[in-house]
Amino acid sequence: MEEKTVAADGPVDGTVSVVIVDDHGIFRSGLRAALGPVIRVLGEAATVEEAEAVIGATAPDVVLLDVHLPGGLGGGGAEVIHRCTRQGTTARFLALSVSDSAEDVVAVIRAGARGYVTKTISGPEITDAVQRIASGDAVFSPRLAGFVLDAFGTASVAVDDELDRLSARELEVMRLIARGYSYKETAKELFISVKTIETHVSAVLRKLQLSSRHELTRWATERRLL
Amino acid sequence: MRPPLLRSPDGIIAGVCAGLAAHLGVKRSWVRIGMGVLTLASGAGVLLYAWLWIFVPTAADRAAESGRQTGPAAFMHGVGVGAGVGAAGAVPAGAGSRATGQTARILGDPSSAPAAGAFDAEGWRERTLRAGRREVLFGTALLLAAAVLVLQLLGVQVDWGFFVPIAVVATGAALAWSQLDEVRRARVMNRAGAERAGGTLRLLAGIVLVVTGVLVALSSSGSWTLTMATLVAVLAVLAGVGLVLAPWGLKFWRDLEAERAARVRETERAEIAAHLHDSVLQTLALIQNRADSETDVLRLARAQERELRQWLFADPTRDPGSLAERLKVAAGEVEDLYGHPVSVVAVGDAHLGSAEDALAQAAREAMLNAARHAGVAVSVYLEAGPDTVEVFVRDRGAGFDQSAVPADRAGIRESIHSRMMRHGGSSAIRSDRDGTEVRLCLPRTEANAVPTEGERQR
Repeated sequence: MEEKTVAADGPVDGTVSVVIVDDHGIFRSGLRAALGPVIRVLGEAATVEEAEAVIGATAPDVVLLDVHLPGGLGGGGAEVIHRCTRQGTTARFLALSVSDSAEDVVAVIRAGARGYVTKTISGPEITDAVQRIASGDAVFSPRLAGFVLDAFGTASVAVDDELDRLSARELEVMRLIARGYSYKETAKELFISVKTIETHVSAVLRKLQLSSRHELTRWATERRLL
Repeated sequence: MRPPLLRSPDGIIAGVCAGLAAHLGVKRSWVRIGMGVLTLASGAGVLLYAWLWIFVPTAADRAAESGRQTGPAAFMHGVGVGAGVGAAGAVPAGAGSRATGQTARILGDPSSAPAAGAFDAEGWRERTLRAGRREVLFGTALLLAAAVLVLQLLGVQVDWGFFVPIAVVATGAALAWSQLDEVRRARVMNRAGAERAGGTLRLLAGIVLVVTGVLVALSSSGSWTLTMATLVAVLAVLAGVGLVLAPWGLKFWRDLEAERAARVRETERAEIAAHLHDSVLQTLALIQNRADSETDVLRLARAQERELRQWLFADPTRDPGSLAERLKVAAGEVEDLYGHPVSVVAVGDAHLGSAEDALAQAAREAMLNAARHAGVAVSVYLEAGPDTVEVFVRDRGAGFDQSAVPADRAGIRESIHSRMMRHGGSSAIRSDRDGTEVRLCLPRTEANAVPTEGERQR
């Protein structure tokens, strides 16, 4: 499985290097202060161009990426991911947003972000999320899990590798995350290991990114969930 | 005010005479006798009858017509774009003939009203209705033609070589000028340019008619070669003038567009500024005043965030009377009361019947309990699946022992358990050291089914 191979090239010494990309200076400094001691901030950027340059120069493990950014072609966070991917970056992206619109979330996830959290997230939670992303896992907030369930439907299919539907187990995991359970709590609830939960979440992320069903994008543009 | 001219369903042949009688307010038999008498005049009555039969709609046609027009009609009435345009696009056919009548009376030409009224009911009603004035013009033209014919019958020599070109030029000019109304209407109704083809066609037809009329008037000799030569000359002059004026025209057009866009932007900006002033700025001022009270600041910030989110991201496809919206409102209230964030994630939705109302109230009670006793953030999850509607309310507080709750505390038993039972639902509470979760479940019924996005895709 893809996730296991990428997990191997994660951070060795336990610290994770990040770049913060956000056009809001107050938020950047607040986030920098909230991150735990195991996180090293290599740089900050406020626009699409700056982000591309800083990420290219510092090669961080994780990029904390605001969904809405000025500059570039107006594509915001999704454009940063596209540009950096084209340059062959190894950084992984965690989307941060105050926006609740499904359109924004789905756009940045489909561009390649490995997680999405809202900006009201607490310091320890964001630190945990960054470490998780760095080790190759996906980070789903309850809201993102809700989007996934709404977009893919709550009926499961038997075929596990179908891109347009979620398997029964994936549905269970998504439901618990949407109900506010952490990965650990979800694992305990389903009597499986956290590692298995991570595998399921990564599989859902892959489906969300690769599913070619045109409804997904249309669904997102139509739907502006609170 | 007269009833509209419609074919009556209880007529003898096609209801024409009956409808006409109702419209004119005279007895049916009189109209029928009148038709008979007219028929004696070389069959004019039969022709008139056939004409009205073809072009006057029945009441059923009219109902269908106005049904189709309600959308733009309502919109145009709301916008209130002046009487001319109002009579044009907005007024459904029934009112159309009345409006035409009024316009005609204002013009001091009452005799044209019936003519225009009959004409409005005509086949290309779709187009003519958009400009009631055009009908009046047409009616006047017909009356003039009739007057000229009568004059000729009375023995007055009429110079046709003079009248026909004048008439053609007048028609062309009318066609071209009718553009004005059209443009004003199109600006409001759709800027996509769907109507543009028709407008261009009309302009071209107007130009051709005017040019032809002028030509015929000038080359009264009737010589074909001379006419052709004049035509070429006229076209050449027109093309030259057009070439010179084109830059100005283009510049004016661009200025107009730019100005319009700027106005739209300005309006939007003003609306946003007004909203921010009324909400965010006020809240920020309040927060500065209460800076020493952490709970107050938190509560104000959360309430303002919620309000702003509602304004920015409100989902227009969602029914405000739905279960999901109701839960969000309840979550906001609990947040305001206790200052702990209550986040709602909704998958699917349900109509708010009595059972769903009870579900929402039970969920609110659960949120209140969580915020009050656990004193931490609360997660609410709604899933409206094809078979059940479920709500989970979860907190990560210290939890409690359900058996240790005193019997006189009715909160959970009455407000949650019994309430759900009474509406055919169920509830379960699970609590341990890691937190508490209340699960509320309601079977899906026909009444609360909402075709959610997810179900439509399935």
